[in-house]
Amino acid sequence: MKLKQTLALLVFVLGIFSGLTLNASNSKLPFGIRHYDIGSAKNFSLNDIDGEKVELKHSKGRWVFLHFWASWCGPCREEMPAIQRLADKMKGEKFQIIMINTAEDEDTVFEFLGTINVDLNSLLDVDGQVTEVWKPRGLPTSFLINPDGQVKYQAIGGRDWGSPAYINFIQKLLQADAKS
Amino acid sequence: MLKIIILMLVATSIQAAQPVNIKTPEMEIGFTPRSANQMGSFYEARGFSKEMRDVLSKQCFITIDIHNISHKKIWLDLSLWKFTVGGKPIKREHRDYWKQRWQNMGVPLSHQSTFRWTLIPETLDYLPGEHEGGNIILPFSDKPIGITATFATGENKQGKKIVVSTDKLFCAEDKE
Repeated sequence: MKLKQTLALLVFVLGIFSGLTLNASNSKLPFGIRHYDIGSAKNFSLNDIDGEKVELKHSKGRWVFLHFWASWCGPCREEMPAIQRLADKMKGEKFQIIMINTAEDEDTVFEFLGTINVDLNSLLDVDGQVTEVWKPRGLPTSFLINPDGQVKYQAIGGRDWGSPAYINFIQKLLQADAKS
Repeated sequence: MLKIIILMLVATSIQAAQPVNIKTPEMEIGFTPRSANQMGSFYEARGFSKEMRDVLSKQCFITIDIHNISHKKIWLDLSLWKFTVGGKPIKREHRDYWKQRWQNMGVPLSHQSTFRWTLIPETLDYLPGEHEGGNIILPFSDKPIGITATFATGENKQGKKIVVSTDKLFCAEDKE
């Protein structure tokens, strides 16, 4: 009898551990994304290329994909079409893409976005000071900010945001929020 | 005869400024010298003033490219790196030095910011698979440059140290 109880307990414990392992592997992040719990996102107020003022704090209530880039940065250029695909796939969701150009003028940004044929707007951090405050690890860098305005993840380098791995990851973030 | 000498000189200087690539079981690291013209044209295209470009043209730029091919975290900390010219220690200026210098010269904030983005960070942690780079700036010299780069590894920097060194680098010069 005791042996049976011990075996049952062993099976139960192993079951818990295998479940934990499964959860851990499920929560594995797509390549290039790392946890980045630094607390509240620092607010900023910048103009976009149409001259409209945008403040980060007004984006609360949805996930924000905050992306720092520059036209001279090769991986930034390569990544833009993937961000466009991400924008297309996430249309209608509680998800917002905010792009910040680092330290370039309006003409450069306008011309660049025109030549790579994307329908994306960008904010202009003309003197680079918002970028200095946010301190991305490099260019390009993207941050994921939750609907409460808390920074949660950072992604370094150009990523294929339109691919299933990244789309599924972002959709899971949105679903988790919808459930809670 | 003169042609042969000129060709030999050109060949020597081209060979001298060649990149150095080193692979260890944990990382791949590349050192690529950049000439004043290469860097100057980038900065000129970004609207940097002649005064600023003149300062930069007297420096030795080396692009560092680091790829973590291990399963552990690797830590870059430039303060642990040693630099020599002709076997004698030299000082690499910290990015704060350049910040101060540009501020003293009244360089626009946008140009200061772009300049900083071309430098490799003073410290950076590389997760497995990550690949990042940037420039370091040394005083220009026509003598061979030695670099000994030491990296900590592991989550808490307690892992086995990686030490990579080269004494085969030369500053890149523009050909007239």
